[in-house]
Amino acid sequence: MSSTAAAPVEDLDDDQREAVQHLLYRLGDDEFVAAERYTEWQVRAPTLESDLALSNIAQDELGHARLWYDLLQDFGYDEPDLLFERDPETFRHSTMTELPFEEGDWSDAIVRTYLYDVAEDLRLEALEDSSYGPIRDRVGKIQSEEDYHLEHAESWLDRLASDDDGQRRLQEAVDRLFPYALTLFEPTDPDVEARIVDNEYRTEPLDELGEEWLSNVVPKLESYGLDVPISEDGTITSADLPPEIGRDGNHMDDWESLYDDFTQTYRDLGRTEATTLMEDPS
Amino acid sequence: MIWEVFRQKKTGEYHTHCGNVHAPDREMAKLFAQIQHGRRKPTNSLWVVPQEEVGEVDAEETSFGGTTDKSYRWSTAYNIEPPAKEVEESANEQAEAERQRGDS
Repeated sequence: MSSTAAAPVEDLDDDQREAVQHLLYRLGDDEFVAAERYTEWQVRAPTLESDLALSNIAQDELGHARLWYDLLQDFGYDEPDLLFERDPETFRHSTMTELPFEEGDWSDAIVRTYLYDVAEDLRLEALEDSSYGPIRDRVGKIQSEEDYHLEHAESWLDRLASDDDGQRRLQEAVDRLFPYALTLFEPTDPDVEARIVDNEYRTEPLDELGEEWLSNVVPKLESYGLDVPISEDGTITSADLPPEIGRDGNHMDDWESLYDDFTQTYRDLGRTEATTLMEDPS
Repeated sequence: MIWEVFRQKKTGEYHTHCGNVHAPDREMAKLFAQIQHGRRKPTNSLWVVPQEEVGEVDAEETSFGGTTDKSYRWSTAYNIEPPAKEVEESANEQAEAERQRGDS
């Protein structure tokens, strides 16, 4: 699969190609790995309804990953290159997406989707006017599904925060997840990040997106009486971040087992190419 | 708490019952109904209704068809040959309706 519209890949010089690819890997890998983790809740969520809702969100995120990986195929990669035969150390997702869930802790799933979906909304806004047409063209389709994700997460937050037990669980999840969530806004490489913004592939720099995200999630979490583990003045330093950022290819040990899981069938069946059921996404 | 879900396929059509969802309140019921009953079928609108708010009358309580002969209501009961044009049209219509209801 590859996008059929005249791909403007040819118009890019080497530096620009690197920048667009970095951007697409961040987008695709975040969505793919987040979805892989969400599906672990299947048949384990608190009720059938909550199970189906989160599974559907996972399915949406896989669809979004497919849209971004498809654009990487314009650079000459195929699906095994991008997923099933890819060196796990080259994945650029944020470590919040690979972090295992605290077993049986639904508030972890809710806080995680909330932190992620606010970030995703902001970054999609910053791609609406991307100078790279194929990215710009796909943003609207993704945004139309994201509204539900955020509404789902916020509805659950409201309800979990309404009693002491729920609030305690939310606080534990916030304490645990917040440092990892900050990695969503870490650059893959500062030079490449500058190029992404200068060429307007993404129209806002990551640090501004990060500030916007903080000004959104911090008051919201505090309105539930939760403490957000960052300094009073809101500045983020490397001390606030976990040891593994993910964006730079540095991952947690849990990533290795997750990678082994989703590539297992491919390896067991001795595949050399990915089976495709659908036309190219667009 | 159980919420009965009604789906409308197109504007102007009736909302028809399509199942239910468990949810603590109306807002969550609407969220869950979207996923479970709206996503895979053509849907223009969904209603969620608390199950306990649904009033029911069943066949044990009442005889829905009535008990006495009311065939005078149906034009097919008037067998005058040849029928008047209006009667014939009405009879055809009635026969068609009965066929669709599965009565004949």
